Amino acid sequence: MTAPKKRVSISQAIFHTIFIAFCAFTTIPFLLTVMVSISGESSVFKNGYSLFPETFSLDAYRLIFSGDEIWNGYLISIIVTLSGTVLGLLISAMLANAMAMPKVKYRNGIALFIFITMIFNAGLVPWYIFITKYLHLKDTIAALILPMLINPFNVFLIRNYFKSLPPALLESAEIEGAGPFYTFTRILLPLSGPIIATVALFISLAYWNDWGLALWLIDSRELYPLQFMLFKIQSMINFMSSSGNMVSGSQTLPSETAQMAMVLITIGPIMLVYPFIQKYFVKGIMIGAVKG
Amino acid sequence: MNGMFEELRRNKWYYLMALPGLLFFLVFCYLPLPGILIAFKDYNFADGIFGSRWVGLQNFAFYFQGDYAWRTTFNTLFINANYIVFGTIVAVAFAILLNEIRKSFFRRMYQSLMFLPYFFSAIVVGNFVYLIFSSKYGMFNQLLQMMNQAAIDWYSAAGYWVTILVGVFIWKNTGYAVILYLATIVGIDDELYEAAALDGVNRWQKIRYITLPLLVPTVIIVTLLAAGKIFYGDFQTIYSIVGDNGLLFETTDVIDTYVFRAVKNVGDISMPAAVGLYQSLCGFLFVLACNWAVKKVNNDNALF
Repeated sequence: MTAPKKRVSISQAIFHTIFIAFCAFTTIPFLLTVMVSISGESSVFKNGYSLFPETFSLDAYRLIFSGDEIWNGYLISIIVTLSGTVLGLLISAMLANAMAMPKVKYRNGIALFIFITMIFNAGLVPWYIFITKYLHLKDTIAALILPMLINPFNVFLIRNYFKSLPPALLESAEIEGAGPFYTFTRILLPLSGPIIATVALFISLAYWNDWGLALWLIDSRELYPLQFMLFKIQSMINFMSSSGNMVSGSQTLPSETAQMAMVLITIGPIMLVYPFIQKYFVKGIMIGAVKG
Repeated sequence: MNGMFEELRRNKWYYLMALPGLLFFLVFCYLPLPGILIAFKDYNFADGIFGSRWVGLQNFAFYFQGDYAWRTTFNTLFINANYIVFGTIVAVAFAILLNEIRKSFFRRMYQSLMFLPYFFSAIVVGNFVYLIFSSKYGMFNQLLQMMNQAAIDWYSAAGYWVTILVGVFIWKNTGYAVILYLATIVGIDDELYEAAALDGVNRWQKIRYITLPLLVPTVIIVTLLAAGKIFYGDFQTIYSIVGDNGLLFETTDVIDTYVFRAVKNVGDISMPAAVGLYQSLCGFLFVLACNWAVKKVNNDNALF
């Protein structure tokens, strides 16, 4: 009886090896970034980017945090993420509420109105012209929030969840004389904790990580979110290194390490909360997968 | 008409709650639609959409007469098709494999580590790629040197970049897709496996004849959703990796990066509008075609 058991553990060992290799693949770029950001600029010039740098230095962080710009970037990113998440979630849930009620006659019309936007759009240029010339949103903080306020996928996800709740709950509330707002805020939302939490997390991740809106719509430095600051630094360094202006081994500007420190500063908040929020994302993807 | 007002009055609170959301879609998706006319005009800011001069199909002609139309369309479709094919194969394989891992502690740990890259922004991903492939300090060239191979100037060799982009896609999205497929696998009725075990079926046969066939509907839905976007390039990732590096355009320039550069770097409006309209129409027709094809095969799996 020992032979088959042994065979099983060999295949388990192979599976574990494969996963360890793949997990190394997914995590090494992050670890490398951490190490480069805390290594001395001179050891980068000498040995290249390394997981085991020769010298350590926090100059890159000192350089970045010495200016006001980074704090401003944080502030913009936080304002955009918070207000976008709260507004987007509330509006999506209210919309889903109307679409989930059997007694709302035009609920399918509303669904179609939203669905059409998922399969056809005017293209980027009409969108850009409309936002800049007609809405005058260019170079305002609203330009970083409003254009991606609602994701139709999320609306359908919430609607499907609302629909799956037992209708008797809402009916009995109505018989007791509760109005639509009361049922929405006191019954529907509290019962939908998992989906609301997941959608909130997906929306905030999308806002925190977005730099496309800033790329199209923001010119003033004081409105740069963190990700866009990183983009600007990266393209500046790429430009300098491609045009050969960068002084090799320069003591004053730790550009290579500073770039990586900047990467860590933008993903820091995500890494801090990742262990705690990860399971909600998993739950949400599973809800979406099952309910389609 | 009376019925409509009656309905709006009766459920007015529901419609009022839906109103902000409907306004969003009206303003950001429907009101820009007349801007499609820009594609047929010589647009200038002073005269606006309706006042600018008509030029017929001239904007389209500019795009289609050069090499750009073919190159950007091919790159967009080719990169996305590779994303779909290799992304799906890798994710399905890892989902099945993860389900075979006995200890739940390891299952959860592997899942967390695989999922991690999903949380990084495209611009952070661009930096990671630079750490690995930078010709001067990059990790890949260090490895090559260790093996006594000549270093490669990656950022000027267009030939490698589709492979690199697909690798990045797998790196970033496998964790997410594995969770999706694992949800389906976990949902498979245990009785099926138990009945198979009674018939003396081995592990590979179980995967081949039970797990894989039951994964097909999920794979079809995920593929359909991705196929619906096949004419839309992965702008944020590609632009953060390639940027304005013309040496790599041959294999990496997709419709979206081309449109962006035309608007932002060249300051052109009308020609990119025409390209965008061409992209929207192709994407729309392709979604209809995909859905029609799936309906023919199996009505239950169609999206609409």
